Amino acid sequence: MKVRRIEKVLLYDEGTAEKLNIEEVTEYLRGKLGKAQVTVRGNPFAFWPEKSSDYARKLASIKIQDVGRKIAPGQEPLYGEISYEKRRILGETRSFGVLYDGFQLQRVFSELIAWDEHSLKVVHIFFTNRLFATWEESDKRYHARTSVYGIPSLISTTGLVEAPAKPREYYLLKQQYEMLGKDLLELKGRLKASFIDYEDERLTEVIKGYAMQAVFYHLVGNPFCEDKGCRLYNAHWQEELVFAQLESRYEFCERHTKVLDSLHKNESER
Amino acid sequence: MKVSVEEIKVKEDKTVRELMDEFQLSTAPILLELSGRIFYPDEIEDRKLKRGDKVTLIPLIAGG
Repeated sequence: MKVRRIEKVLLYDEGTAEKLNIEEVTEYLRGKLGKAQVTVRGNPFAFWPEKSSDYARKLASIKIQDVGRKIAPGQEPLYGEISYEKRRILGETRSFGVLYDGFQLQRVFSELIAWDEHSLKVVHIFFTNRLFATWEESDKRYHARTSVYGIPSLISTTGLVEAPAKPREYYLLKQQYEMLGKDLLELKGRLKASFIDYEDERLTEVIKGYAMQAVFYHLVGNPFCEDKGCRLYNAHWQEELVFAQLESRYEFCERHTKVLDSLHKNESER
Repeated sequence: MKVSVEEIKVKEDKTVRELMDEFQLSTAPILLELSGRIFYPDEIEDRKLKRGDKVTLIPLIAGG
């Protein structure tokens, strides 16, 4: 497996859940990556205040109106939609009810990166609470995602809650609770160990694994691993996510551990 | 679909689209690195590559 060199990892906070401790994620990445610099850049929009109206328009135009219809390029947004996006950019609201096209969102965010840092040697990770989805040709609909990997990589704290399906038991019991008029919070409490919820104490630990997926995208071109116990496992179910990120006996499979070891080895040989 | 960070040496003049087809990347949005510069999917389809160019093609990947 060819491994590319990474010079630095830049972390951006584009409005995330309060439970996310980015400093802790930073320290974790520093421990894993040897010589590569890991830096927190904060809010990416803060570098371009004069362009906030332009970005607001672009974000409003990549909003998914109907999950069964692929958004058309150059979709014309409404004034209210642009106004909402501008308030979000300026930090006047942190709400997250909108669904965006994930690859188009990645493209808009790519414009926030300094031109000389557009490189495979620089890992850009945007943490966001925006929910995004990508279009699947196979069933002609959008699917909510936890993350998209590229330049930059985006990790959604809302996506981690909403994209992977909850345990089957949850949906069965939810129907019963609704029929009986019982409090759904009680159900969530009952099954909370098996899925990640909003403002979950385990969020930072989970995010570390997803940040490593972004790192491996740059190192080897593939963020994922087939091993269900490896943090690079691409979980489609909450139970898989919880196992890979929190319960597995090991962090990374043997193959990916070797890649990380090689980063430290190369460092000591320099 | 091939997923790799291998650099490819272009053997003959062609468009990025033709190279993508060759590597069976035709349905995936991809990033192209050419001479250290990154190009996004909307910038690359008709871009011409010259014999001897060294490029890396990496698909954008969604998770979850």
